[in-house]
Amino acid sequence: MYLLAGGKDPKSASISKHLALSWLLHVLLRARHQGPLPQSTPLPARPAAKHSAPGTTCRKALRSRHDLPQSDRRLLPIDLGGPVGGGFKEPAEAAEAEEMEQGLHTPAPGATRGKKRKVAAPVPAPALQPVKLSRAELYKPPTNEELNQLKETEDLFHSSLLRLQIEELLKEVTLKETKKKKIDAFLHEINRLLSAIPETPETDITDQTWLPKDVKVPFLQVPFNVKGKFRFLPPDELSVVGSYLLGTCVKPEINVDVVVTMPREIFQDKDNLNQRYHRKRALYLAHIAQHLSKENLFGSVKFAYMNSNHLKPILLLRPQGKDEKLVTVRLHACPAPNFFKPSRFYPSKNNVRTAWFLEQSTPKEGAPEPATPHYNNSILCDTVLLSHLHFLSSVSTDFPGMKDGLALLKVWLNQRQLSKGLGCFSGFLVSMLVAYLVMKRKIVKVMSGYQVLRNVLQFLATTDLSMTGISLAKETDACLPTLDDFHHAFEVVFVDPSGLVNLCADMTASKYHQVQFEAKCSMEILDDRMVDGFQALLMTSKPMLRTFDHVFHLKHVSKLQSACKKMQLLNELMDRGGNYVAAALPFIVSLLTRGLARRALLVAHSLPNTPEWPIDTEPPKHKDVGSLMFGILFVPDFAASTLEKGPQADRPEAADFRTFWGEKSELRRFQDGSICEAVVWEASTICQKRLIPEQIVRHLLKLHADIPESSICYTGALLESVIKNGKEALGTGEEDMVSVVCSYDDLSRKLWNLEGLPLTVTAVQGVHPALRYTDVFPPIPMKPIYSFHKQVKTRHLLLPSEEKPCPAYITPLKMICHMEGSGQWPQDKEAIKRIKAAFHLQLAELLQQQHQLICRPAVTHTDVYKDGYVFRLQVAYHREPLILKEVVTPEGMLKYQDTEESQRLELETLHQPYLTSSLHGLQQQHPVFGSTCRLAKRWISAQLLSDSISEECVDLLVASLFLHPAPFMPPSSPQVGFLRFLNLLATYDWRNNPLIVNLNAGLTDVDCTEIKNKFVAARSRLPVMFIATPKDKWNSIWTQERPSAQILQRLLVLASESVRALEEQLMDPLSSQDVKIVFRPPLDLYDVLIHLNANQIPRHLERVDRPVKSFSRGVVKNSAGVRILFPVVDYDPVQCYLQDLREAFSDLALFFYDKHGGEVIAVLWKPSSFQPQPFKVANMKGRTVTTLNNELVCVPNIEAILEDFEVLGEGLVKRVEARTEKWTV
Amino acid sequence: MRGAAAAAVGCLTRLSPAALAVKFGVRQRSPHCLLVKEHRVREGPGDTHPPQRTLFVLNVPPYCSAVSGDALSRLFARCGAVQSVDLRDKPGPGEKAEKRTSKFFTNGTATGFRVAYVVFRKPAGVQAAKALSQEGPLLISTESHPVKTGISKWIARYADSVVDREELKAEVDAYMQDYDKKIEEEEAKAAKEEGVPDEEGWVKVTRKGRKPGLPRTEAANLRVLEREKRKKARKELLNFYAWQHRETKREHIAQLRKKFEEDKQRIALMRAQRKFRPY
Repeated sequence: MYLLAGGKDPKSASISKHLALSWLLHVLLRARHQGPLPQSTPLPARPAAKHSAPGTTCRKALRSRHDLPQSDRRLLPIDLGGPVGGGFKEPAEAAEAEEMEQGLHTPAPGATRGKKRKVAAPVPAPALQPVKLSRAELYKPPTNEELNQLKETEDLFHSSLLRLQIEELLKEVTLKETKKKKIDAFLHEINRLLSAIPETPETDITDQTWLPKDVKVPFLQVPFNVKGKFRFLPPDELSVVGSYLLGTCVKPEINVDVVVTMPREIFQDKDNLNQRYHRKRALYLAHIAQHLSKENLFGSVKFAYMNSNHLKPILLLRPQGKDEKLVTVRLHACPAPNFFKPSRFYPSKNNVRTAWFLEQSTPKEGAPEPATPHYNNSILCDTVLLSHLHFLSSVSTDFPGMKDGLALLKVWLNQRQLSKGLGCFSGFLVSMLVAYLVMKRKIVKVMSGYQVLRNVLQFLATTDLSMTGISLAKETDACLPTLDDFHHAFEVVFVDPSGLVNLCADMTASKYHQVQFEAKCSMEILDDRMVDGFQALLMTSKPMLRTFDHVFHLKHVSKLQSACKKMQLLNELMDRGGNYVAAALPFIVSLLTRGLARRALLVAHSLPNTPEWPIDTEPPKHKDVGSLMFGILFVPDFAASTLEKGPQADRPEAADFRTFWGEKSELRRFQDGSICEAVVWEASTICQKRLIPEQIVRHLLKLHADIPESSICYTGALLESVIKNGKEALGTGEEDMVSVVCSYDDLSRKLWNLEGLPLTVTAVQGVHPALRYTDVFPPIPMKPIYSFHKQVKTRHLLLPSEEKPCPAYITPLKMICHMEGSGQWPQDKEAIKRIKAAFHLQLAELLQQQHQLICRPAVTHTDVYKDGYVFRLQVAYHREPLILKEVVTPEGMLKYQDTEESQRLELETLHQPYLTSSLHGLQQQHPVFGSTCRLAKRWISAQLLSDSISEECVDLLVASLFLHPAPFMPPSSPQVGFLRFLNLLATYDWRNNPLIVNLNAGLTDVDCTEIKNKFVAARSRLPVMFIATPKDKWNSIWTQERPSAQILQRLLVLASESVRALEEQLMDPLSSQDVKIVFRPPLDLYDVLIHLNANQIPRHLERVDRPVKSFSRGVVKNSAGVRILFPVVDYDPVQCYLQDLREAFSDLALFFYDKHGGEVIAVLWKPSSFQPQPFKVANMKGRTVTTLNNELVCVPNIEAILEDFEVLGEGLVKRVEARTEKWTV
Repeated sequence: MRGAAAAAVGCLTRLSPAALAVKFGVRQRSPHCLLVKEHRVREGPGDTHPPQRTLFVLNVPPYCSAVSGDALSRLFARCGAVQSVDLRDKPGPGEKAEKRTSKFFTNGTATGFRVAYVVFRKPAGVQAAKALSQEGPLLISTESHPVKTGISKWIARYADSVVDREELKAEVDAYMQDYDKKIEEEEAKAAKEEGVPDEEGWVKVTRKGRKPGLPRTEAANLRVLEREKRKKARKELLNFYAWQHRETKREHIAQLRKKFEEDKQRIALMRAQRKFRPY
């Protein structure tokens, strides 16, 4: 939309190009400092008469400042109307303060529509206000009407909210009356034109010379030769069928189906055979197309395949002008009624001769012709179009709920991408299903649309049409084919009222199972009171990438030709008229389903979809459906198992198992003594184990379908490279994480059993992210090299050496050690600090004595070196926060008031440990939680925002994806989890909704409502991002300070861009699939870049793009060290530097840095601080005094500050690059 | 505090402050600008910052403050012997000078741009310092006395963060002994007063005595109130009178109405945000 067409060079392409225009921070930051504007606080000593003078000068100066950044090149694009900037463009000075009060801005309403909103008026996004009703209003006597409505809501809908929501949705998707009139007029015109088309003389079907050159027959005529004669005669009848007449068509695509009945004279006797009927049909349409294309009534005249079935071309007519998008009239041709004898098309009958299909001159003797059920069905469909219409209209009379219900169901299907393509679950099918349920009295005519939706979903969830088909046929005619006959011929069976047509003929069993699975999930969501069912069911789209854990593409579907050969699918090919994709697909899917049986909950495929084409081009070939996509949903417990255990060797099934798995199958002896066939997949790390399904898919497709590995593009773990540490790392760090936790468990056991402490240890709790599996790069056991450091033997420790590169960063793994409560604890905060220090000293001593662990005590903690890790022990006393809170009122009453100190302590000793243990538990339930979280954090830090949002907050966001996945399943691969994380960030309405993360199921739905109500009431006082957990319902402790509204807005923009770019990459199997582009931050919009020396960046190896050159960091991987000098812990020069910078310049600039090996610190000046301020002692920091209009004012001394950047970072800073000259007046 | 600051500003605007250009080293090109003036406050003179001899310095760059103003005292030594340098985050009254009682238990001092009070031995130093503004930029880090910044500073900081166990232990022990003594004294005093009426005849009841009273805390108060409420609720009959029945019905309808209104508002908002376009 508003993006530059960037990224021509995929290797260097970074998301920056996409983002170049949507950089809003500048504009946002102008709104940031709403602190008292300097000119509004006159100096106290100044005479009153002078007041106006400084005000005007400042405002003038301010205006000149203000003009400057707007003419700045970077802001120009925003003024051009980037949609995200809708509400933010040029905020008037006065509006700024107001905006800040309102806190977070959702993109303005116009954002999604883009074009219409050219004028950038700062529209204050609406926010929920608590409802206030007067007493009189609340308690006035109810009218009958009102009571009825309330009762109806209670009976027919879930809640009044759902009712209102559904009503709104229906308003959006249904067709308006005014449009209907236009469409009706259009249809009348078409009718008039069609009856005026001239006839043609009779010719052979194969002789198509009568057709002008600018129309191509919309049919793949393979083999070309076919007997029979064709002539065009004007249609007998023209009738509108389908959803338009029933009033159930749904936006965005309004289709009106028009049936043209071909006169009987066109047909001959054996037209049922060998595609003769289909070819005549195609020729008939071609002739119509040729005539209609000359009319200027139409905006476009095109061909398409009906539901991508290449045997059934249709003609698409669209009106001229601005109504072109409004409607598509689809012209179907159907045979004269009662021309074909139905018995010829029973599923077991043959209508395509092998000899003809293979172009052999003489039929092979003796071989029976195979049945062609799909071919038969395609002809039968055309014969019953009108009767279906009558059937449906009889059902829908006096049934207003049906219309609504169908609209909802169609939206439901659309959101799940089930309603388009070959073998789709179309709207027509749903209508028939509703009719079936009415027939079976599962749905009655008084039901509301919501109840229709519910009942259909319930039926789908519980009925497997691939096993037990259903039929709409009423009378049981003995000669009609039975359901069993249909089951033999088709995978999914749903027979129409005539008893002849299978409505689900093209559907694969897998597709039906997917529908069934979706219905099951949806029913669960509807029954769950904690979930907003409306949102999850009808408003959230479920693209395959975000739905399935692993996704792979079949790059070239033409490879399926050889697959058909390999699987000997000649009969199916004949039946499908040579469409090898349709013929092979069911077999391939069932192959995969069998191979992944235990691991996969669901194996689904995308529906082959052929695009429409203009009438003067050849119809698309089978290979033009693009790439086929498959999705796998895992059973988390089994997906990664390395063993595929088969039957015992002496059983007859063993042979079958061997043929299925091929060479991979081998005999193995198991612990219980049995000898079985088994397949063992090679995988050493967890990350490789997650990819075992890939091995299986590749192996099976190669073995059984001859599909080479090169044409399979498997996207399951592409992203994981960014959380691999070091060059040689095979895994993604899960194993490291486990060994950290083991070591921690051991240490905590040792602490519990420590002898000689005056008070016992009651609990040891981890705090560090690695102890909840969410540390981006888990610590690795390390042992220092002495010669690399400065040694201080007397204190048994090492110090970093100035001459050498910075030593490797060793994270202290913080843990809290709760000591027993006792009367001996002093009740004074200073004294408690001393006692805690004494405990730290003593812990260090005892651990050294009893367990030979070397320790380094400090006032606030003790560092323990164990197994190559450094643990940071912090002693806690449970009453200390209370003591810090104590306040004595003047009356002598003891009150507890939160202070900054007490809150910090509570956070450290109460909330963080609780969160850590809860998330640790979550990881046990969902093995990919940790990795997802790490990807999410890696992305945030790659975007330089890790200091602007707390780690715990990200952890909780990711946890919410696992705890409240609706409408999806909890992620079972980091990739899908990460995509959903980005999507959550990009789409969540933080302004009006709290995010409730129900850890350990600690909240009931009553709690949730209460949280929501209180949230609405107190919105303006709460943080912009509000996350509630069971232990923290009202405060959202993790988001109180960070992120700010601007940073959050920035995150949203980045997330929506990233998810778009990433999905584009992943959906395109033919591209390079460089997923790292979303991990490369846009840098071209910062004011100053501070480039750092790589040798002083201890975490340099963690960079997204691995550095070419690496430095020795003075450590070896080893956990054996026992009596060593204490290594350098928690020393990161870049963090020290950032701390210094922020302390000195926080009121002038913002500093952004990727803590995982970033080479650049990006600096953004705060525009507000560049306004000249009146001279004041408190204002002087880093500024210089000048006179402006005879007034003493101070302005930032930027040249000196830029040099300060270098001075403060002596040895670390390579170069300071000032990219803008914004400060010059 | 604020009064003092305002006073300082007043002084500054009346007597325009002298600006001294200061650079970190020879290599730097753009100087920072130190503002100096005589220290004057209206309130009674503090002990630590005698008004005549004290120079008030504004905008001290972050690298100066590294080791308790060493660099500053050297900078001003040319104007006269410097008695002390007091670096602060904010200007404030002099008497609250923080005494560094403990080596370990102090809050970390912030760095950044700060203010300083430079106390000279003689008043002449102040005037001499103000006259410095005529000279070229002063250097903070010279070859003879380099100021540590960057890597070397952080390494030094890291080295400082390592505590000496014995020293820490000794300090803690000393503090705790004092504290114990203090508590003991308090307890002895409380025991002596136990049950003894004061001059008006009131007896102080504490938790220590034979009949401990309720603790005077907010939480205890709330607990008592809560208990009373519960007792009252238990006694009440809810379905006794006809009006009670009527009331509950009315209440129910009112609830539904309220909910309906809330929902309507929610919907209106969502409609405004076009939340109902499914795709």
